Amino acid sequence: MLRRSAPALLLLLLAGAWLVPQRPGDTTLRLASSDRSHVDQLLSAVGDLPINAMVLVACDADLGTYPEIRAATRALLADLAAHGDRTAMVSYTPEGRAIAAAERDRIARAGGTPPLDLGFVSGSEAGLVRGIASILPAATTGVLADEIRKRGGGIGAFDLVVVISGSDLSARSWVEQVGARLPKLKLAAIAPTFLDPELEPYLGSGQLVALLATLREGVGYAEAIGGDAVAGPASTPAPLPMLVGMLVALAALGEAALRRTGRVRTAAGRRPS
Amino acid sequence: MNGFMAGDLGGALATWVAALVTIGVWSYVVGARRIFVLLQYLLAGLATGYLVLLAIHDVLVPRLVTPLVTSPRDHLLLVPALVLACLLIGASWLPRRAVAPATAILVGGISAYALGGAVIGTILPQMAAALPAGGAGSPDLASELLALVITTLVLLSFLHGAPRAALTAQAASLGRWLLIGGIGGWLGFLIVSRLSLLVDRVGFLLANWLTVLR
Repeated sequence: MLRRSAPALLLLLLAGAWLVPQRPGDTTLRLASSDRSHVDQLLSAVGDLPINAMVLVACDADLGTYPEIRAATRALLADLAAHGDRTAMVSYTPEGRAIAAAERDRIARAGGTPPLDLGFVSGSEAGLVRGIASILPAATTGVLADEIRKRGGGIGAFDLVVVISGSDLSARSWVEQVGARLPKLKLAAIAPTFLDPELEPYLGSGQLVALLATLREGVGYAEAIGGDAVAGPASTPAPLPMLVGMLVALAALGEAALRRTGRVRTAAGRRPS
Repeated sequence: MNGFMAGDLGGALATWVAALVTIGVWSYVVGARRIFVLLQYLLAGLATGYLVLLAIHDVLVPRLVTPLVTSPRDHLLLVPALVLACLLIGASWLPRRAVAPATAILVGGISAYALGGAVIGTILPQMAAALPAGGAGSPDLASELLALVITTLVLLSFLHGAPRAALTAQAASLGRWLLIGGIGGWLGFLIVSRLSLLVDRVGFLLANWLTVLR
């Protein structure tokens, strides 16, 4: 009975924990990672850009995992706008295109200036390579579009590329296809946790200048930029429901381990001598 | 709050649809599989429709049709591309000999990009980065050597079927345990990640739909 109703109980528990108000400034429960090295790397990558720098945000996140990196992505866009950087957005996956359009819409609704829309580029990795020569759609106009054309019209026109990664096309493709052809171009990435083992080696080798690839790093970065003020109210998961959920997961693991141990002992007891 | 919905009627309607669909998906956990299957069909249909629109609006019309109609002489290379696209579209009706070259070009091109990128962008730079570069006096020497030892042990654990000496077999066994430990650590992170998605949905229902703010 308890086993069958466990998922519904978990949802109720999470809802109850979500509703518990957190006092402002209360640091008893913090989701942000205490290790700020990855956060500082992205802050430096943006902070060290020259005045009026051009930044390309390649939005190729998945709809399923985007909530995990949503706050970090919004914080990045806010940080770029605060630095006065000129930002453009491009997508190489259909899901990324949908997210990019929604984010541009959200910024426009809030009264801000959305990044220049470079649209959707088909062809996956072949499209990436084509983008090195020309990334600007023919019909795109404006000051930033003219500046991109003046600098060659390709990905190399930008001072920094931040890849919002997903499963279809991650920062790995950018490193392999673009980084290998434009070694001076700075590449940074924001990625959901499942991509962390894939992308961490690129940070170690210097092929990525910055990487946020866990929830706690993303929350840390969003807090460093301004938290809910820039990413929207309650945009990062509250720490208490996360703690409750993890305790439930640990309890489930413990229960499964105990059951398995009991089964092994029973089988050993039944074994004929 | 996800901030995607506007405050107007359209936004309110979208919030209601999103909330009802979320609850519909969750109904699977109490055994209401029909609603779940229906919503899966809805997602598949919407995704396909969106893909078709995107392909027409962002790819076929601006990158193929418009250049060919406005200045065909400047875009002669698009003609074989159009032929290849037509061959792939009609693949189920056309003879295999006609479709095979187009498919071969497509598969070969994708593989070449992926393989070339993997060698130049990943394998060679990662091999260079894995080597202890700082010399004997480097403060990172210990961690670099440890990484090298762990990498070697894990690679040894993939020597399935090859004849192995007792020492190699023990090293491979150790490598397998290191691999399991690494995967375990990653899965722990993954649980936190998936939990955050669930908490986000709970937060969406409470904050966006029921407008209960913490």
